[in-house]
Amino acid sequence: MAARRFTVSKLLIGIVLTAIALTMFVPIMNLIAKSLSNPDKVHLLHGYDILPKGFSLINYQVVLSNPIVGRALFNSLFITTIGTCLSLFFTTITAYVLTRKNLVGKTPIMIFLIVIMIFEPGIVQEYMVVKDLHLLDSLWAMVLYRTINVYYLIIMMRFLEDIPDSLLEAGKMDGAGHMTMFWRIVMPLARVPLLTIGMFYAIARWNEFFKSSIFLSSRENTVLQVLLRQFVVERDTTTLVGAVDLLKNNHIAQLDSSALKAATIVIAMIPILMLYPIILKYYTNGVMEGGIKE
Amino acid sequence: MNANSKLKRMWSDKVLYLMLLPAIAYFVIFHVWPIIGMKLAFYEYRILGDNVYVGFKYFKDLFSTPIFSKVLANTLIISAMKMFLIFPFPILFALMLNEFINGKFRKAVQVVSYLPHFLSWVVIAGVWFEFLSPSTGAVSSLFKVFGLPSHDFLTDKDSIRWVLVASEAWRSIGWDSIIFLAAIMGVSKSLYEAAYVDGANRWHIVTRIVLPHLYIPMVTIFILNVGFIMNAGLDQVLNFTNDAVNSQIDIIDTYVYRVGLLNGQYSFATAANLFKSVIGVILVLSTHFISKKLTSKGAW
Repeated sequence: MAARRFTVSKLLIGIVLTAIALTMFVPIMNLIAKSLSNPDKVHLLHGYDILPKGFSLINYQVVLSNPIVGRALFNSLFITTIGTCLSLFFTTITAYVLTRKNLVGKTPIMIFLIVIMIFEPGIVQEYMVVKDLHLLDSLWAMVLYRTINVYYLIIMMRFLEDIPDSLLEAGKMDGAGHMTMFWRIVMPLARVPLLTIGMFYAIARWNEFFKSSIFLSSRENTVLQVLLRQFVVERDTTTLVGAVDLLKNNHIAQLDSSALKAATIVIAMIPILMLYPIILKYYTNGVMEGGIKE
Repeated sequence: MNANSKLKRMWSDKVLYLMLLPAIAYFVIFHVWPIIGMKLAFYEYRILGDNVYVGFKYFKDLFSTPIFSKVLANTLIISAMKMFLIFPFPILFALMLNEFINGKFRKAVQVVSYLPHFLSWVVIAGVWFEFLSPSTGAVSSLFKVFGLPSHDFLTDKDSIRWVLVASEAWRSIGWDSIIFLAAIMGVSKSLYEAAYVDGANRWHIVTRIVLPHLYIPMVTIFILNVGFIMNAGLDQVLNFTNDAVNSQIDIIDTYVYRVGLLNGQYSFATAANLFKSVIGVILVLSTHFISKKLTSKGAW
């Protein structure tokens, strides 16, 4: 009796978990299916379908050959790659300095960092700072903005604290300076936290939308998330399809604009989907494997 | 250590301070400078010439504006709804996942459910607009099966806050369950074995052994969430809002953005922002110390 009740409850739990996972899986797959459907058959696609009706890459061709989308995609990639490299370098080098023993002034610096972490500057003032730096409507505003996340800095410091002193002492004996030890000893040892934190930096930068919409005003300097909001929230189909094609009312204008929108959303998801396996591997693996380590 | 030897040590560590310089410069430019700039809340902004000190004028204006009371209330209501209504779900989710040890099923559920955490709110809005679309969405298809009329939740004043809560839960249930799952996995195997020997069933084990182990992360996370109550989710609101429902989900952040950057009332908007930041600091600090006292775990 006990054994049977156990299986029934397990079955019920399995159903609930499946239902929760389906609320995530189905809408995302549905968008992908819509973007890949044959334009003649896309109207047949139901909201719960996860496979495309027919197959066509036309939506991606149209979206990616739209110069405004291409430009925004390039800008997003630029900010994400350059920004993430800068973030990683400065976060790690700062963590290295702050984990040196007997560093004079460490406590006041840490207090300063905590204050920075919890006191949010005003948005009007952030705008004015970027303006005073003459970085308004420059991609560099978004590259430099939020270079160091204090929270990730603290995580990196916790990791560097675990590097045995003997390794660094040996370096010092060989006459290596701090810069050399940082590059030759600390950076290679910090591969895993660099990857993990780098992933979070990259995703935050790729997803950044509000500040990009404020700091970058011109169309040439817009980023993908801001453009996507224009398509999805403001329902701007003119830019999405292209004004010229709409005027000509050619085959592109005949396409289902919601399928084009779906293709743009999928394009905005692709980098995340590419980084996702690495996140799972380095960050959540312990939790995924399940077993108790004893 | 006397001052002299301190200076000597600093001189010998001069390379370290040089390495620290870019970070300090960054924090001063992008954090300290704008924070100091918030003194504008006490000044009248002038395009030409110096700003004029006006004391608490803008704060008095702020608290006599009915819209501000409305956005403050919206902020607190939306935050509180998210805090209380979503809170149990990651815990339940972790407990349910724990019933499937090492299985492919468990892994598949985890892979799918952690993903939304990494999507931007723009993308999530895109997914949800399709999901909730009254004509073609999966939800209205489901409604049809049960003979219910389709409904546009996104333009309904009564349902929009629930949409915010639901989409936040959708985004965070998987990822936020990780900390509880880790705590469950920390429970020693011998405790389970001892309980089975004593004739305990699965339910007893969950309630008497597993749940007590979740007490510390539960308390910590709940208290720390209180610290962020002034942040009701700017990116989310900006992407889910529309003219029909804006009055229900207009929060302090969207208000400051609108009044300050769109209407150019810099001083007034700064006053609202400073009010929010200061309350935020007080809440984060006090919740940090309360949590530290109760569970020895704080915000940092």
